Amino acid sequence: MLDLLAYDFMQRSLLAAAMVGGLCSVIGVFVVLRGLAFVGAGTSHAAFAGVTLGYLMGWPPLLLAIVFGLATVWITGWVEERGRMKLDVSIGILYTTTMALAILFIGLMKSYNAEVYGYLFGSVLSVTPEELSVIGALTVLVLGLLLLFSKELYFIAFDQEMAEASGVPARQIFFLLLTLVALTVVVSLKTVGAILVFAMILIPASTAYQLTHSLATLTLYSATIGIFTSIAGVLISAFWDVPSGPAIVLLATTIFFIAVFFSPKRERRIRLLHSH
Amino acid sequence: MSDPREPIIRFDHASFGFPGLIALKDISLAIYEGEFIGIIGPNGSGKTTLCRAVLGLLAPVEGHLHIFDCACNELRCHHRAKIGYLPQKGVVDRNFPVTVLETVMMGRYGALGLFKRPGRKDRDIAQEALAQVGMDSHKDHSLGQLSGGQQQRVFIARALAQQPKVLILDEPTTGLDITAQHNVIELVQQLHDELKLTVLLITHDINMIRSRVDRLVLLKTRLFAAAPPAEVLKPEILHQVYGKDLVITEKDLVIVEDYHHHH
Repeated sequence: MLDLLAYDFMQRSLLAAAMVGGLCSVIGVFVVLRGLAFVGAGTSHAAFAGVTLGYLMGWPPLLLAIVFGLATVWITGWVEERGRMKLDVSIGILYTTTMALAILFIGLMKSYNAEVYGYLFGSVLSVTPEELSVIGALTVLVLGLLLLFSKELYFIAFDQEMAEASGVPARQIFFLLLTLVALTVVVSLKTVGAILVFAMILIPASTAYQLTHSLATLTLYSATIGIFTSIAGVLISAFWDVPSGPAIVLLATTIFFIAVFFSPKRERRIRLLHSH
Repeated sequence: MSDPREPIIRFDHASFGFPGLIALKDISLAIYEGEFIGIIGPNGSGKTTLCRAVLGLLAPVEGHLHIFDCACNELRCHHRAKIGYLPQKGVVDRNFPVTVLETVMMGRYGALGLFKRPGRKDRDIAQEALAQVGMDSHKDHSLGQLSGGQQQRVFIARALAQQPKVLILDEPTTGLDITAQHNVIELVQQLHDELKLTVLLITHDINMIRSRVDRLVLLKTRLFAAAPPAEVLKPEILHQVYGKDLVITEKDLVIVEDYHHHH
């Protein structure tokens, strides 16, 4: 196992996985608390459509992924704010539309492109040094902004109207959160893939949700679980030669169910049930 | 009403809502510093809209609204941090993973502004607010573990942590048992007396507040009355607003049947 760690590609993969795991699990706290879970799913498929268009036209795929991702979250946020449509309906429409575009773009490609499928299913073991620096830069940017605006982000996740009423620029902070979700998805595309990135945003935060009643501890637990499962998932993937995305996600899911079973909240619910 | 003091909130022929759906029409009302105002009216009469307007969440579509020295014709007002707000129960997810102290600390965020982290002073203010509502021994408890009445106290503490000049409470007693209802109203009265807060209290329970408030504001899309309770709680005025849904008993208790239908 130690031999494996000596390889450059392995070190890059572990570093990429740790960054993506940490980033997804921290932003996941706000996504879960603000009820934006489905937005994560919709955005990742939109970003994948961007990637396919990039390969089709010979344009930079990650750049187009960002454009598609941001367009999706901003339209969704705008529609919700206007009260025209429920969030899950608008994101559902965008989700399927962008997926249709992705399939169309793949269909228009003259030859089979394995790299495109790498973005769909994730291939952390093939992360290049250039990709690693992009992941690193975006991770620092997103985590920095999350830290800078953490108190406002917690407040809007708790109660956006209350935050606005007490003088926090809640609308702008909500759009910042949507933007950071889109960037996180794009950062994670190469590592866990468009289909599974959603799981990395949801599962560590939902696991931590089972274990604590405090916002600060919730974030800490979520980040720890996210980083641990990502690194462990990559090692499992390299060791037993299984795809990395599913290894990470299935490990996270296992920990989630263990947490649900031992959750202090669950015990409290059971006690409440018996007392009635 | 002639008053030598300057009002801190002044509605001047103000209407609120959307074109085609006016929630409040042609409201002219001055509220003075240190007043305890009860806001009453049937469901859908615009009580919450009035409070949202004072909070700066709604700009008037006609007329003017001045709060402190600010003309609130647009939504970006800087007075919000000076107004503490307790929203209607049910708006907030009460199982949110947050401790009592974390909840009250949120009251500091608006006043702190962006980029500043809450420090020791903010913590002290939050602890003091918890002490004022008698919840300081619960600061590390989960908000979800508390009873309805205790949660309302915590939310009042959050509003107090803003160090507000005005406190707005939207039906703070809904869903509480009778003892808890009484305790919450008693607490509001005490805060008004001790901290000299201007209080706007929305309620359906006219009897509970009639002896405590300085003035009652009676709404039904328009402003029907804004006067001391004895002048407002007259059958001829109340019948205009509540119609036959309202009974005034021999003991001078007001029973709003509409209220009972909805609860």
